[in-house]
Amino acid sequence: MKKLDALKAMNPEDRKRAIGDFLMNNAMFIIIAVTIIYIWIRVPSFLSITSIINIINLTAAKLPIALGVGGCIILAGTDISAGRQVGLAACISAGLQLTVNKLFPGLGVMPIPVALLAVIVTGSIIGLVNGFCMAQFKVHPFIVTLSTQLIVYGVILMFLQLGTNGGQTLSGMSEGYRNFISGTLFTVGTAKVPMYVLYSVIITAIVWVIWNKTAFGKNMFAVGSNEDAANVSGVNVKKTIILVFIMAGILYAITGFIDAARIASVNATTGLNYEADAIAACVIGGISFVGGIGKVSGAIIGVLLLQVIFVGLNFLSVDANLLYIVKGLIILVACCIDMRKYLVRK
Amino acid sequence: MKLKKLFTCVASFMLAVALVGCGGSSSGSTDSTGGEVAVFWYTFGDTYLSSVRSAMNATFDEKGIKYQDYDANASQTTQTEQITTAISKGASCLVVNIVDASSDDATQAIINLAKDANLPVVFFNRSVSEEIVSAYDKAAYVGTDYTQAGHMEGQMAGQFILENYDKLDINGDGKITYVMFKGQEGNMEADARTQYGVEDANKVLTEGGKPELEFYDSSNSSKYLLDMNGTWSAQQGQELMQTALSKFNEGNKNMIEVVIANNDDMALGAIAALQNSGYNTGDGRYIPVFGVDATDAAKAAIKDGSMTGTIKQDAAGMANAVVQIAENLTNNKGTFDGIDAANVVGTWRVNIPYSAYAGE
Repeated sequence: MKKLDALKAMNPEDRKRAIGDFLMNNAMFIIIAVTIIYIWIRVPSFLSITSIINIINLTAAKLPIALGVGGCIILAGTDISAGRQVGLAACISAGLQLTVNKLFPGLGVMPIPVALLAVIVTGSIIGLVNGFCMAQFKVHPFIVTLSTQLIVYGVILMFLQLGTNGGQTLSGMSEGYRNFISGTLFTVGTAKVPMYVLYSVIITAIVWVIWNKTAFGKNMFAVGSNEDAANVSGVNVKKTIILVFIMAGILYAITGFIDAARIASVNATTGLNYEADAIAACVIGGISFVGGIGKVSGAIIGVLLLQVIFVGLNFLSVDANLLYIVKGLIILVACCIDMRKYLVRK
Repeated sequence: MKLKKLFTCVASFMLAVALVGCGGSSSGSTDSTGGEVAVFWYTFGDTYLSSVRSAMNATFDEKGIKYQDYDANASQTTQTEQITTAISKGASCLVVNIVDASSDDATQAIINLAKDANLPVVFFNRSVSEEIVSAYDKAAYVGTDYTQAGHMEGQMAGQFILENYDKLDINGDGKITYVMFKGQEGNMEADARTQYGVEDANKVLTEGGKPELEFYDSSNSSKYLLDMNGTWSAQQGQELMQTALSKFNEGNKNMIEVVIANNDDMALGAIAALQNSGYNTGDGRYIPVFGVDATDAAKAAIKDGSMTGTIKQDAAGMANAVVQIAENLTNNKGTFDGIDAANVVGTWRVNIPYSAYAGE
């Protein structure tokens, strides 16, 4: 209300600019709202309970990986090994939860915490390697993760060749594991909200606290916006970079841990190109490649918008080819808006 | 400074060790001085091709033939470069799972390379054109009649639906609605399976006096859902099915009553989505799901009752035929010696037959 009064008090030119800035700064919310309303008018069932729950479920499944990549982008870096890391984690968690295990003949179903721990340790190690190479040798994140992405893919292929599996899809995971991930948290009408939505919410809350309330989080933003300045003011830059990538590795691991049970069959293509959507989501949500800028809510908005488009175009029964164009346009527009904000500030 | 030098030394040493270590373990053949069969794979990441690869490597080992596997990772450029490398290394025979199946130029380029080196070349699995392959006397193709899988899947689905018609017609409107999952655009096999999977099912149904299948979403003119990444993946199968179920379900009296997928991975993904909605878990609510490939995972799903049927591509049969032809051509024997004559087409190709699989 106060803002509205202030707006009235301005002279016409200032008012114009203020309104323009407001529209620019909230462009993504406006795009989402317009998209949703448009689809809803064309296909009213888009906003039925089952449909909304579906969008929430899809968003929840893709949120952890986006938050992981988000941290890397805040460091003015990127991480293109994210998708393959998700794939490896999915293979490992599936491999430890098979009822008939061809990878490790004779190994029964391991307890769920063991599988979770195994993927978290694997993710941390890959994250450590990523972060160490960047911090120690100043190799550009794109190059480092380009390399680790290849290494991880090789490991996935070898992992799937273990035992008598011979590269086959992993399927037939234990009931306990599948229920742990996809079991019903609660139902709304006939729509089921699976357990992993809860995990995703918890993870998001933890990441929010880390980003906003801890010294490490503040250091992350400081290093991202100006590494030298952060160094001079006493931030341990190396440690910060390594920790951000370890955190990312853990988040990818959890994404894979969830995905294995959610999809219920895992092979070498699992996780392929996941990072593309995750990076796009972050950028759409205003996590800037310039570094040092970004919010958890931004990542959520980005993931949500991509899922709204995915589901929406399916509801509209649009030609799938159009989805590529729409997605490309949205990312491009988001980046242009983002850079414009940055240029103004500069 | 000293520390940095030391580190560089250690790093290069580790790299050297890693390379030596890799050299020793290269896919079964310890001696890699040439004279080996060079096998070029479209991608190591594909489930079905992995089973062909396992079978083929085992057959090579059995016959004591040296071989080397190459992974093109879905890039034709990579594959062509690998072929020139293998020829310069002294390969005795080229076995090619071509990446760019729709390009005659890529096939021609590979044949030219083989011709120049006077090497036999056996294409397999991914299709190549007759006129190009038959123009070179030391070339052959081992494939499948790519339309056959679609026909068989359609007939299998049609037969099953006909036998269980009333049970499957959940909303009792006298019609069965279906969803079709397509793995990729611009792929002949995907096109054929998408088309015949439904057409042949309809043929069976109309002959049995029932109406044709109806696509679940009447406003979708393409009549299939597509894996946007073109990878025929379970993940897309799951997410597309889950999204479809959020609009079309029993609550809305427009439930999808049959699922037909281009491959088993997408079928398994769809099953995961169905199971999350309480179907195909063994307590009676059942939506039939059909796939193609007969992967181990799909067979297991058929066994536990969550999947209905699949079409088996004979991985071992394909591997054996490829090895046999490679051996024949290398030793100047008749191209198709030792191959079941019923499967030989003309002078250039062998078709490995598909078979329906609905449990043992």
